[in-house]
Amino acid sequence: MEQSSSRFVVSVLVADRVGILRDITSAIADLDGNIDAISQTVVENYFTVILTATWKKPVPAATVQEALTARFGRDAAAVAVRPYAPGKAASRSRRTRYVVILTGPGKLGLLKAVTSFLAERGINIEDWFVEKGAAGFTHIGLVSIPDALDIKHVQDEIRQTAAELEMTCALQHENIFRATNEVGPIKSLLRHGEAGRG
Amino acid sequence: MIGKADILATMRMLQEENLDVRTVTLGVNISGCKRDGAADTAKAVADRIRMKAGGLLRVCDAVTARYGLRVVNRRVALSPAAALLEDRTVEEAVEIALAMDRAAADVGVDLIGGYSALVQKGMTPGERLLIESLPAVLSRTERVCSSVNIATTRAGINVDAAALLGRIILQVAEATRDRHGFGAGKLVVFANIPEDNPFMAGALLGPGEPDCVVNVGVSGPGVVKRAVDRLVQADPDCTLDEIAEEVKHTAFRVTRTGELIGREVAAALGVPFGVVDLSLAPTPRPGDSVGEIYQAMGIRKLGAPGTTAAVALLNDAVKKGGAFASSSVGGLSGAFIPVTEDCALSEAVSSGTLTMEKLEAMTAVCSVGLDMILLPGDIEPETISGIILDEMAIGVINRKTTGVRVIPVPGGKVGDKVDFGGLFGGGTVTNVNCPTGSADFIRHGGHIPAPIQSLTN
Repeated sequence: MEQSSSRFVVSVLVADRVGILRDITSAIADLDGNIDAISQTVVENYFTVILTATWKKPVPAATVQEALTARFGRDAAAVAVRPYAPGKAASRSRRTRYVVILTGPGKLGLLKAVTSFLAERGINIEDWFVEKGAAGFTHIGLVSIPDALDIKHVQDEIRQTAAELEMTCALQHENIFRATNEVGPIKSLLRHGEAGRG
Repeated sequence: MIGKADILATMRMLQEENLDVRTVTLGVNISGCKRDGAADTAKAVADRIRMKAGGLLRVCDAVTARYGLRVVNRRVALSPAAALLEDRTVEEAVEIALAMDRAAADVGVDLIGGYSALVQKGMTPGERLLIESLPAVLSRTERVCSSVNIATTRAGINVDAAALLGRIILQVAEATRDRHGFGAGKLVVFANIPEDNPFMAGALLGPGEPDCVVNVGVSGPGVVKRAVDRLVQADPDCTLDEIAEEVKHTAFRVTRTGELIGREVAAALGVPFGVVDLSLAPTPRPGDSVGEIYQAMGIRKLGAPGTTAAVALLNDAVKKGGAFASSSVGGLSGAFIPVTEDCALSEAVSSGTLTMEKLEAMTAVCSVGLDMILLPGDIEPETISGIILDEMAIGVINRKTTGVRVIPVPGGKVGDKVDFGGLFGGGTVTNVNCPTGSADFIRHGGHIPAPIQSLTN
């Protein structure tokens, strides 16, 4: 069935080269679409982007898909176009962002074990990055952890899970990284008010 | 998301370079604890410490877990106890100090400061009593620390107090002979004492401070040393201003962690946050040494000409980085040079390259003063007073804090080795060049007037 909508979520996977984002945005602009949000990254010479775009009047998904595919060739890019549906938040529970850092040789099944560990505890992964270096693999993840969890317990458990896979693991509050790398006032990082001067 | 390199740099500071929060110090005002009797006063002081600091340990542990940043020491700094000692006896003063000591143990802090007096212009009977009680107090308590401010740029130097403290320091050392005179290591004589210093032994809740306040001391000599190492390794020909820039950036990061933790602890305790004091305070552990930073800069033998300039560079860069990081920087904020607590400084003193006189020169540009220096047990009290006066003069004229924390080791001779253990480290009894000849000067007593620098209004 032809799917028409006035808002789509679009992803494109293609070998990296200069001008990819220009081609994608041009295709959407030529269809009178307006891009609302965009996130792109490059992993080992492969470019991927996810974006949302809005049209004044509903357009068929196939039209958007064909316009994008035409820019790269049918076999060169993987293009997905879906009508946008407002998502449910991972959880309504109050959450705090932490940074996960894993380092080590990177054994088979590591990511499965760690992401399963996180999912089983309702910990949402917001971003994840892996890099291979001379000393092994480094994983850096940004996760949001329900405040109801005992963070000390989670830290101990994830360290143990990682150790079983010969990795070292640290789970640290996001603010420690923001504090050391941003220049804004520390107060702006804290969600609570401060007691007044006595 | 924060950059990958930034995340990994922060992790390196936390995991490999000994970045921690050296102390969370809760200031507690005890001036309202005076009662008719000494026992009632002691009880009121202890009750107030327990009430205000009862949750300190739990809160610090929770924040440590939350941020993965270790809070090494939890401490309490009281308003000057001399205010409670008018019309008391030495035994009554000891009773009050013992109550402080027990309360500190109850709330889980290893040191409690504020058994202190501010006597730069003169002494009340209670302040004199406090000083005279120090041999008993510092030998019979475990956690109590004392400081006496005898000079300010505004008031000049109280020479009578310096003379008295020369004798008292010897008596404190003798009273703790079984610990190599370590009691003297819990007593600091200051010029221009900061009201908000979180570091022991000189921490107190000074005049003008809130009723209760959290001050935080961050350290990180290991972080700074590694940053200088990396810079020099990448560019062996880097200039000293480039090193200063690197130190400044590193100090910025370290200070920010301190403010973050301090504000969290203060909010959890429901008290105001005061200051973050970024002081490069070493521990005896290699890799956590201020002396090693000077070595990383190129001072191969500490004490060699150029050492004072290296201290000045470091101290200034630390202050600049801290000042940009936070508008709540206070305390001492700079570089400490506590000899027994720093493996590189201690080794330099042992080998003879770093002398008492060179240390004194360094104190003109470091953040405090002569700190944790072992002296011969037979040193004259007037010589200690002379050391104190010299140091006070440096502070008063330069409008900076200076301090003297020296330990005459009972029975100790120049070259003897002493080990206090733990964070206090150990070292070699050092020589005072020309140990006699100042007695007549000290005996004049009185007051060295405030310098012309004090007339600023």
